[in-house]
Amino acid sequence: MNYMPGTASLIDDIDKKHLVLLRDGRTLIGFLRSIDQFANLVFHQTVERIHVGKKFGDIPRGIFIVRGENVVLLGEIDVDKLCDNVLQQVSIEEILEEQRLQQQAKQKTEKAKVTALKDRGLSIPKADNLDEY
Amino acid sequence: MTDSEQPETETAVSQPQWPENGGQWSDEEGGAGMDECGLAEMAEEDEEIDIYNNETFGMEVGDTEGDPTNPLFKFGEKPPAPPALPSLSPSSPSFSPRARPQLRVQGPPGRRGRGQRGGQAMAQMFEDPAVVRTVEGRPSLQVITTLARSVVSKACREMLFSSYVGVSCNGDVLFTQVGGLPSPRPCPSTPQPLTPKMMQLRFGANSPRPSPFYSPSSNRVQRFRFPGPVTQLHPQHRRLLSQRQQRSQRKPDSWDPYCNLMSAKEKEWIIRLQMIQLQSENPHLDDYYYQEYYRRMEAKLAEEELGMRGKREPPKLTTPYVTKMDSYTPVVHIEGSLGQVAVSTCFSPRRAINAVAAHCPHELFMVLLEVEEGQRMKAQVLGEGEEKGLMEKTEIKVEYIYSQLQHPDLEAEEEFLPCLLVSKGKQLLARLLPFLSHDAALKVLSMVTSHLPVLMSRDADESLPVLYPSLRIVIGGMTFSQLIGVLKDFTTSLPDSSDGSVCLSLVCQSKFGLSLLYALLSQGERLLSSDVPLEPSIGDFETWTDTVFLVASQLSQSALVEPLLLPSNLLTLFCRYLDKRTIHQLKSNME
Repeated sequence: MNYMPGTASLIDDIDKKHLVLLRDGRTLIGFLRSIDQFANLVFHQTVERIHVGKKFGDIPRGIFIVRGENVVLLGEIDVDKLCDNVLQQVSIEEILEEQRLQQQAKQKTEKAKVTALKDRGLSIPKADNLDEY
Repeated sequence: MTDSEQPETETAVSQPQWPENGGQWSDEEGGAGMDECGLAEMAEEDEEIDIYNNETFGMEVGDTEGDPTNPLFKFGEKPPAPPALPSLSPSSPSFSPRARPQLRVQGPPGRRGRGQRGGQAMAQMFEDPAVVRTVEGRPSLQVITTLARSVVSKACREMLFSSYVGVSCNGDVLFTQVGGLPSPRPCPSTPQPLTPKMMQLRFGANSPRPSPFYSPSSNRVQRFRFPGPVTQLHPQHRRLLSQRQQRSQRKPDSWDPYCNLMSAKEKEWIIRLQMIQLQSENPHLDDYYYQEYYRRMEAKLAEEELGMRGKREPPKLTTPYVTKMDSYTPVVHIEGSLGQVAVSTCFSPRRAINAVAAHCPHELFMVLLEVEEGQRMKAQVLGEGEEKGLMEKTEIKVEYIYSQLQHPDLEAEEEFLPCLLVSKGKQLLARLLPFLSHDAALKVLSMVTSHLPVLMSRDADESLPVLYPSLRIVIGGMTFSQLIGVLKDFTTSLPDSSDGSVCLSLVCQSKFGLSLLYALLSQGERLLSSDVPLEPSIGDFETWTDTVFLVASQLSQSALVEPLLLPSNLLTLFCRYLDKRTIHQLKSNME
């Protein structure tokens, strides 16, 4: 029930299962238990879900407190809807391994790119360094 | 965290792992309200519960076997799912499988009939959201320890902040509270070991709230209070909310043991904050969509009900938020000022200095511009008819400005004074003078000269000289008599002063004053030395001579500032009247 129809409020989302995407790329799923005016979130029975390709794995994390500014998006999970058959759940070890491999591959291509650019006298600043300037 | 996996895998056989066990989740979803069930519903449940209890707890503990969740299935309801529940069995290794305690894991503690027993007090106790499970029946030591152990292990695993576990028996009811979260109200019937943390949490913002929650009819989760007197909702909005409240109260919800972490008070607080942020003085501008939405809804309803009950008085569209602004009259604009008024000025408006409030030089400037525009156009070759029309228009405008500049309250002599005190006013007047009729211009001039001391002293930003060119032109058109009249102002002395005109001495110090004086004298000289018949009034010449003498003596005595313009015929003028010595002095002074 929205206290202020025509507005967006997280009050109605309390005690419901949500999926939240954080700015660092993590995906958390849990029950939204508490909020505040900055949209800081308290998640209960949180699970961090890692997706690699068509596989995914869940890491139970317990209670999470997320600072509001780090939320990219947040959405309620419809528990009545059937889970997607396309995605395959695997164990945590496996998914972490997959993730590691993915990171490795990514770094390799990135490195190759940077070297190629360097050879041509160019450089692309990384996004995380931009704040320094 | 590996612990939590263990029970999950164990129960994998019986039920899918969380979070995939969507079937179990669905019971918990929906806001987890402890709502008003219908009485019939409750009675039905009562019976079921009684049957179940007789079957299980009527016998020895440990008689029944099987999955701990079985009783729940037997019970006919879906198990409310937190994984903690199945953890019960593995965490009590001391028990033989047979002697598994038949803990009735209850969803909404107490509400389903159980709470009805023992009256209101019980109901209150069980309404506590932090109650994880309630166990009923003859409490045995085994039960207690098992429960405690499971709860504690679960608490350690799950809760990040300190938890407290209180176990107490009250009659035939045993319950525990888990969690570092405060129970929103004290349970008077249960003596608990109060840890310091609990104490801390019971006061301040988390202090328990009185009466509304003690009535079992209150819908604790869905219930809310309208966000207080600070914010005002649109009446339609208010109606909507109360309607929804009633509606939701009837809907039965399944129970989530961890729900209501946020008390209604806290939710309210956030809503209040958000509403305060929405407050504005001009909601129709700032919150257009909200206003529009409700206006349309209202209009629609009014239309619908128009036929039904005749014209019901439509609730007035009150400004929803702003109530506290009544205490002061906001100063949003100060006349003649530029830009916004500062907040501090709003609350304590200072007396306006230089308030030419009634005159609004800006507007007059606009009109003046038009007049000047007209003049420029006139310079172009126009048809005669057009020229006339233009002339008329110009005249009207000029008259308008002239009249505007005059302050109605003051005497005839002081009319333009307020304007002249402001630099803008001076500029305006200077630009207006060419357009004024000779008489009007003379009037201005005489006014200037008569109040010269005042003007000079108040001319802080040295803007008087701006009047000089225009006035000089006016002087150039003066007759001798008029000139004499004006000159008198320069030479009048105060009745009790003995050293000559105060004005003159001041004039010597002021660029503008001196220049004006020179201009006047020069004009007089010009008139005298020209062949134009002067038509003087009686006594003019005498006055003239006296004036010249006086001025000369004053000028020779005091140090002079440099004038804006030194007319060339002044010295010749003085030569005629004064002796050589004085002239010499004058000369040196003036140069």
